Amino acid sequence: MTTTVTLAASMRGGTKDYGHGDAAVRALDGIDVDIATAEFTAIMGPSGSGKSTLLHTLAGLDRLTAGQSWIGETEISALSEDKITQVRRDKIGFVFQAFNLIPSLSAKENITLPLDISGRDIDPAWFDEIIGILGLGDRLTHLPAELSGGQQQRVAVARALVARPELIFADEPSGNLDSRSGAELLGFMRRAVKEFGQTIAMVTHDPTAASYSDRVLFLADGRIVDEMREPTADAVLDRMKQMGH
Amino acid sequence: MFRLAAKSVRHNPKRLILTAFAVALGVGLIAATHIFTDSLDRGFTRLFGEIYDGVDVIVEPITDGGEVGDPTSGDSVAKNLDDDAVRIAQDAAGVDLAMGATEALGALIGTDGETLSGGSGFGPPTLFFNWTGVEDFDSATLLDGRAPEADDELVVDVDTAEQHGLAVGDQVVVGGAEGTYPSTVVGIATWGDSNNTQGATLVWTSLDRVRELGGGDGWTVIHVRVDDGADAEAVAAAIDTALPEGARALTGAAKAEEQAESLGEALKAVDIFTLAFAFVALFVGAYIIANTFRIIVTQRTREFGLMRAVGVKGQQVRTMVLGEALLIGIVASVTGILMGYALAGGIIWLLKALGPGESFAAPIIPLDAIIWGFAVGILVTLASALLPAIHASRISPMEAMREAAVQNRRGLTMRNIVGGALALTGAGLTTVGLYAGLDRPYVYVGAGAVLLVLGVTLLAAQLLVPLAFGMRDLLTRIWRVDGKLAANNIHREPRRSANTAAALMIGVMLLALTATVTQTVKAVANDAIGGQFTADLMVVSTTVPGSPDQSVVDELASVAGVETVTRSASLDARVDGVKIPVTVLDTATAEEAIAYETEPSFSEIDGGVFVSPSAIEAGAEVGDTVTLVGEEGEISLEVTGTYPNSGDGDYFVDFAQAEQLGSPIDVWQYSIVAESGADLDQVRADLEDLVATEYPLLTVQSPDDMLELANQLIDLMLAVITALLSGALVIAVLGVANTLLLSVTERTREIGLLRAVGSRRRSVRRMIRIESVVMSLFGAILGIVLGVALGVALIRALEEFGFDTVAIPWGMLAIYTVLAIVAGIVAAWWPARRAAKMDVLEAIAFDG
Repeated sequence: MTTTVTLAASMRGGTKDYGHGDAAVRALDGIDVDIATAEFTAIMGPSGSGKSTLLHTLAGLDRLTAGQSWIGETEISALSEDKITQVRRDKIGFVFQAFNLIPSLSAKENITLPLDISGRDIDPAWFDEIIGILGLGDRLTHLPAELSGGQQQRVAVARALVARPELIFADEPSGNLDSRSGAELLGFMRRAVKEFGQTIAMVTHDPTAASYSDRVLFLADGRIVDEMREPTADAVLDRMKQMGH
Repeated sequence: MFRLAAKSVRHNPKRLILTAFAVALGVGLIAATHIFTDSLDRGFTRLFGEIYDGVDVIVEPITDGGEVGDPTSGDSVAKNLDDDAVRIAQDAAGVDLAMGATEALGALIGTDGETLSGGSGFGPPTLFFNWTGVEDFDSATLLDGRAPEADDELVVDVDTAEQHGLAVGDQVVVGGAEGTYPSTVVGIATWGDSNNTQGATLVWTSLDRVRELGGGDGWTVIHVRVDDGADAEAVAAAIDTALPEGARALTGAAKAEEQAESLGEALKAVDIFTLAFAFVALFVGAYIIANTFRIIVTQRTREFGLMRAVGVKGQQVRTMVLGEALLIGIVASVTGILMGYALAGGIIWLLKALGPGESFAAPIIPLDAIIWGFAVGILVTLASALLPAIHASRISPMEAMREAAVQNRRGLTMRNIVGGALALTGAGLTTVGLYAGLDRPYVYVGAGAVLLVLGVTLLAAQLLVPLAFGMRDLLTRIWRVDGKLAANNIHREPRRSANTAAALMIGVMLLALTATVTQTVKAVANDAIGGQFTADLMVVSTTVPGSPDQSVVDELASVAGVETVTRSASLDARVDGVKIPVTVLDTATAEEAIAYETEPSFSEIDGGVFVSPSAIEAGAEVGDTVTLVGEEGEISLEVTGTYPNSGDGDYFVDFAQAEQLGSPIDVWQYSIVAESGADLDQVRADLEDLVATEYPLLTVQSPDDMLELANQLIDLMLAVITALLSGALVIAVLGVANTLLLSVTERTREIGLLRAVGSRRRSVRRMIRIESVVMSLFGAILGIVLGVALGVALIRALEEFGFDTVAIPWGMLAIYTVLAIVAGIVAAWWPARRAAKMDVLEAIAFDG
């Protein structure tokens, strides 16, 4: 594979079937995707377009039925479950729509969880910088139940950032937040890409959320049907309307 | 509502499997006990019927207490029947033949001096009968050879002959309390149809020989055969009326029934003993059931809230939860009864295969096993589910609207108050028992102990969980995030963790208590035997007590190197009409052999009597005069001293006084002090030679031998109790597993998240395992602390019985601790597997 831009993740001929026989559903239909480093990529599509499946298979949470996928130079479609877990641990950060935090751990403990799991040391300067940007300084000792929804998602972003992963996958990170908190969160994510060169791939169905990205991939029926650079919310909305969303 | 309950059970059977299994295990123990004793009961009933089959009517002596005399028991022996009784029976209308029979205990010795059966030691007895020649009366059929015709001829039962390779014509030696008699085996016989002797050796010989062996004058029983066509019952009634007081007549069938009944009583005691342990198991099981239902109710809070919102009444929700419990109770009871059948059947099969099981009838499930099984299984399940069911019925419809199942944050206040009150009352009662100087302190200590344990199980949420949580830093240091999360999980649901640990705590507490008491008994026995016994050797009688005949003492004393021989004996006498045990000693020499801590020394008894604490409790005081009434005389003695503890007899007198009572004196020990400088091994060898040839029913032992024997018995007791408690322990471990399993289900999301951010399966498994081990370990440690403390309290309460030291069984406690860790790992196996296998995607899927 010769490329001019460095790739954080990629997929070739990614196919994913759920179920067997007549009940089989093809979620991904021979898809090719490249996620460039230091870019904020949004994956959009209507329900059932396969966008979540794409994210899960790219991140090694789920396995492809056919095809290959890479995280950096590592082909994870060929790895054992244990090795994939290790790749996730060392190279990937996650932000989910909800239930991002371990309820019994404090905000700080949740943030350092990936480092604790892999036994790596915390870089205090980096930690402080993230905490400062996300405005979590006075919330570190709180348990998730004591935080607002926006704060909880910011803790999740901090957790994703703190290990300096090659790539962060976000699945509707603002989906459960009110518009102000959502905007704040997406702003932070964009800053992480611009200021620290962090790579982020985000699944969303919200055109406003997609407008924070550098590049939007449109999915329908398990294929990439279009791509948009430097999107605006209106342009994305128009494109979605064309797709019959 | 019941249909809903059934659906709910069917919808999610996994979470209930372990619960049902815990109940089934307890029910299984109960059912197995019933099936086992029922089989034994029916087997023996059949056997007794067989034994008395050929005897129409039996005439036997009765003791003054009205009890039927049994020469094999150590209880007071009824006086033998005399020839008049035989004549009365023979003369009664409808009697064809009446013959007296007598029996005695003895030993069978090979010509090489090796004891074949009976004699010293334990095990089934060797019984000698006079051969009457009437097959029905002897219950014996010759298989080989002929009947004994002289005193030195005998017939042995076929199994004994086989076991020792005896054949017709072989020479053996018969050993009795008074001497030995060379004899010839002239016949081999089977007893009844199947020679089912329960391991006893049966020997038939001449009447004179049986009497010499200790049968005494007269007859122990008279067998009667009625005329053809005569009614045995009428004949029995006629003989009974004609008999003087102290004897009775009854039909063989009635006797068989009576024997079966008295065995049934004995088996009932076995039932009660084992049932007590089954109930402990179910009590532990109740914690698990309650825990399971509480967790399930919490997990289904939204569901119940929704039901309430659509108009289901709280009462109906309660009925539904109880309906689920009922269903589980029924399924578990059926399973338990079948498991009990398999268990009892297996044990019976094993016993039959190993030999001693011939008395068991084919096992069936008796009605009482079914009734008990269902009653207990269903009641325990329902009772345990009651509180969670009430809690479910109080769930507000609002819960349906909440975002996620909110953890129930009910305070622990009520629980702490009740637990604290119980524990304090318990501790108070125990203290009162120990220090208030009341009568029978062990009653207070026992009751206090039960309350204390109940209280502590409730307080465990307050006590254990913070302790376990305090280990968080340590666990984190060792196992990083896995350790930290394990500690957090224990802390998250203190009630749940505490109940789980409490179930294990109760089991371990009972183990630690038993171990402490047995260890102390050992230590006390050690002190008593090792410390008090200044005797070098003991010659003891373990089968038939010797007579106080001075000739035995003289012969033992004549062995080179023996300085002093002093006897210990016992007899029954009455004081104020109450039968009491009297210990008889050679008071002049007693102190040379045994360091009695009497006040004053036994040598100053001065023809009086010493009294123990229990006699003092009954009103005796130094300076009083006590009147002992024997069979043929009474003596009034001054109380001249006190004996330090109870349990060794109430009154202590010298042989000179005891012999005036005319009651049989059972000498069970001759203590021997060797001359200083004598070669003990040689003395022992000489004594053994003497005993083997002259007194085969006596055996020579050193204090160390006795100690070893005592220790073996105590260890056996500990092993039996441990085995019986293992049911409760297995259930407790199931409880740990069940709690973890439910909590893993509850934490699906969390575990999925951990896996998503990079926790390996191994790591997830370890987290569950740590949680399990910490809970088990703390439960076990609390159990050990409680068990040892209560054991010590109990021992202190029993001080008057000579428990003057306390021994802590450190070794056993260490083993229990290690086993708790192992139990934790075992309990975590399935839950950890499930957690690790969890599908990450499913776990993080957002279904809101």
